[in-house]
Amino acid sequence: MTVRRRILGAMTRRPALGTASLLLPGGLWLVLFFVVPMLLMLGASVMHRGTYGGVEPGFTLEHYRRFLDPLYLQVLWRTAAWSALATAVCLLLGFPVAWMIAASRRHRALLLFLVVLPFWTSFLVRTFAMIFLLRDTGVINSILMSLGVIEEPIALLYTPFAVLSGLVYGFLPFMVLPIYASLEKLDPALLEAAEVLGARPAARFVGVVLPLAFPGILAGSLLVFVPAIGSFLTSDLLGGARQVMIGNLVQNQFTTARNWPFGAAASFAVMAVVLVAVLLSLRLRDRDRDPARRGSG
Amino acid sequence: MKPAPRWVIGIGGVVYLLLHLPVLVLVLFSFNASRYSVSWTGFTLDWYRALAGRADLWRGLRVSLTVGLLSTVVATCFGTLIALALARRRFPGQRALEGLVFVPLVTPEIMVGISLLVLFVLAGIPLGLGTITIAHIAFNISFVVVVVRARLEGMDRHLEEAALILGADELTAFRTVTLPALWPGIAAGALLAFTMSFDDYVITSLVSGAGSSTLPVVVYGMVRRSVEPTVNAISTIILVGTSLLIYGADRVARTGGPRQLRRIACGAARPRDD
Amino acid sequence: MPPAGSEELGPIESELNIYNWSDYISSDVIPGFEKEFGVRVTYDTYESGEELVAKLQAGATGYDLVVPTTYSVTALIETGLLAKLSLRYLDNRANIAPVFRGLGHDPANAYTVPWQWGMTGIAWRSDLIADAPESWGVFLSRTLAGKMTMLDDVRDVIGAFLRYRGHSINSVDPVALAGAKRDAIAAKANLKAYLSAPVKGQLIAGDVRLAQLWNGDAAQARREQPALAWMLPAEGGTLWVDSLVVPRSAPHPRAAHEFINYTLRPEIAAAISTATGYGSPNQGAMSLIDNPVPYPAPSELARLEIQKDLGRASALWDEVWTEIKTA
Repeated sequence: MTVRRRILGAMTRRPALGTASLLLPGGLWLVLFFVVPMLLMLGASVMHRGTYGGVEPGFTLEHYRRFLDPLYLQVLWRTAAWSALATAVCLLLGFPVAWMIAASRRHRALLLFLVVLPFWTSFLVRTFAMIFLLRDTGVINSILMSLGVIEEPIALLYTPFAVLSGLVYGFLPFMVLPIYASLEKLDPALLEAAEVLGARPAARFVGVVLPLAFPGILAGSLLVFVPAIGSFLTSDLLGGARQVMIGNLVQNQFTTARNWPFGAAASFAVMAVVLVAVLLSLRLRDRDRDPARRGSG
Repeated sequence: MKPAPRWVIGIGGVVYLLLHLPVLVLVLFSFNASRYSVSWTGFTLDWYRALAGRADLWRGLRVSLTVGLLSTVVATCFGTLIALALARRRFPGQRALEGLVFVPLVTPEIMVGISLLVLFVLAGIPLGLGTITIAHIAFNISFVVVVVRARLEGMDRHLEEAALILGADELTAFRTVTLPALWPGIAAGALLAFTMSFDDYVITSLVSGAGSSTLPVVVYGMVRRSVEPTVNAISTIILVGTSLLIYGADRVARTGGPRQLRRIACGAARPRDD
Repeated sequence: MPPAGSEELGPIESELNIYNWSDYISSDVIPGFEKEFGVRVTYDTYESGEELVAKLQAGATGYDLVVPTTYSVTALIETGLLAKLSLRYLDNRANIAPVFRGLGHDPANAYTVPWQWGMTGIAWRSDLIADAPESWGVFLSRTLAGKMTMLDDVRDVIGAFLRYRGHSINSVDPVALAGAKRDAIAAKANLKAYLSAPVKGQLIAGDVRLAQLWNGDAAQARREQPALAWMLPAEGGTLWVDSLVVPRSAPHPRAAHEFINYTLRPEIAAAISTATGYGSPNQGAMSLIDNPVPYPAPSELARLEIQKDLGRASALWDEVWTEIKTA
């Protein structure tokens, strides 16, 4: 067969595995065990609250209206700000780690494993260990005081610093693993070519490494930002529960406030906002990935 | 890839240290005589001895491992397939599916838990290991899709196309070219999925039934009231156990792995001479 | 087999599923029961009474016994989730002290048997604080700013400031609640954090010198820090009673009743209380415990209130709580 015939054949051949069969198993699972339950909750969000919990029949939009109150919007804003900050710090700290792992030949598996190892202990136990380190009478303050650096213990625990540390600590692998997966495929020939052509290290980094790592950076950022919005235990345990995050608010509605519909409505409002942000950033990625870059060589 | 520059290794090293500092503390306190992890009052193995009598902790560990492994395997398969479809194919509703994949990640856990519980009750599915696994697969698919997708985006497609042109059918090309190259992404996604499953509390406690408590559910109570060093002891055992496991697996992989993979990857692009 | 709630139940089943708070039983009770009655017990634990209620209201089944908090019993009764107790199998309930019978959430004792009780007051380090606290107002004073905590619980925090101004902890009066909110926000500036059970470690270490805390937890912490004292403020506080109840969907109702009756024996009740550090509602158990939590004296009883379910006003309280936390 001539080369041209082969190329034409490859381009027009029907895929062995139909798109439908690729999507079916996972898609069906998500529909059954996520979309359907969410539809149930969507229904609940427009019903009346039961006096002692649960829902009562009747259609109402009052719960969505209630969420538009400045009090709750402030909670949403504050949660988003914390998540964005945590994402930024995770990126700053996680990128070097991912790079280190991707560049390492012999120790790669070990380094990868060491990133996730702390997370195979219980979240609470890790957090209490952090409390132990950060307390007024904790390890860090004791060391600083015995070294004479400070006279009185510094308030490290129950501060924004503690909450940020806890969030970054909890989400770092989410940032490291996708960036690593992206960087690992980085062709060293590209960097060498850039070097040969006279590009300095900084330019090589910004011009070659960053763009190629971009999908991983985006994935990592989304994997940190999105779940961070729903988290609240870190703020409770390390921040002294002084603030209420969206996660606290929703949790409270299903428990002490006995207001399931409002909890569902608040959740959907937050999900909608975050979904818009995610779709916008995905559009960013698609624009970045134009046809000329396919099979980036 | 070339070795990373010095400053990168410097920052990376510091981060690793900080990451493991709380873990070191927790291991240390599994040997502390005091019950409250407040200060060091003496060395003891009592907490490890106490573990022998805690059948609930071992049962919880067994359940967590079972659910974790099962849900990771299934979610990784499903998630990888979806990622392939999103990255390599064009179909209506593609953008919507991309967004949908993120929704489980932002939904507050109590919403996911309660909604699944209601579904199980309405459908008459009894609560137990099965319902926990179903729930874990559901939220893990998203993690896998995102990680594998990022990997696919950066992959060189020349090798795949070359294999197709040279006569390989799509399945062979996938098996010998795409899959090995995709492997780090799949492994990263699976690692993440297992971690999420192993550590989950809220969703698990809502959809679990009598006698199906996972380790976090058993441990939560012990820790919320007063971090009992018994918890530190079992956490240390888990850490040591998984470390040994991974070390063993790495050893096994090292003996044959990389060379074989390279051979497979090149085999598709070169005329076979056997 | 007759379902739970029937007057007469079938023979004792071979299994029993208990769902209780963690750390809320003595370790020998379950094995003892299993041996005597030939029943295999599955014992699961939870960490939040409210999550228990949500889980049951969402339809979870399979549990024969659960232990809800004082007022969440009302929510469970009103949503039809509890079975009436079959009293003919509970002859040991004569051991329940009179002060714990006929409580507001179950006046006829048709659904509940009290499990443990306790009080919410103030724990403090007598070696680090010169003057003993006397009132909930201590949280409004700058003297111990940064060294005090309150419980991370909407009912406990708002309730404390309601009592401070002479209102009931079950008040749904918007004016009283607005006043409590003002006080709570003012106090927040003096608080180190809102901490529940984990505050014990900090009290022992001395990071926290004064904390709103339950008496049983204070007793537990005192074992490692003898300088820890507990008091009930002058304005009064909360008396809470956790109850054993049988869900309507219980698959093994007879075994559940036998277990309840078993724990009503004085020696068993004494063992449970000794382990948990909380009060036993069993009058026979008192003489069997070393250092029992004494029943509230009449003067204390007069200052103690039992929490009631707030009904529709729960949403109002939640809004106040959100405002306090967002301030």
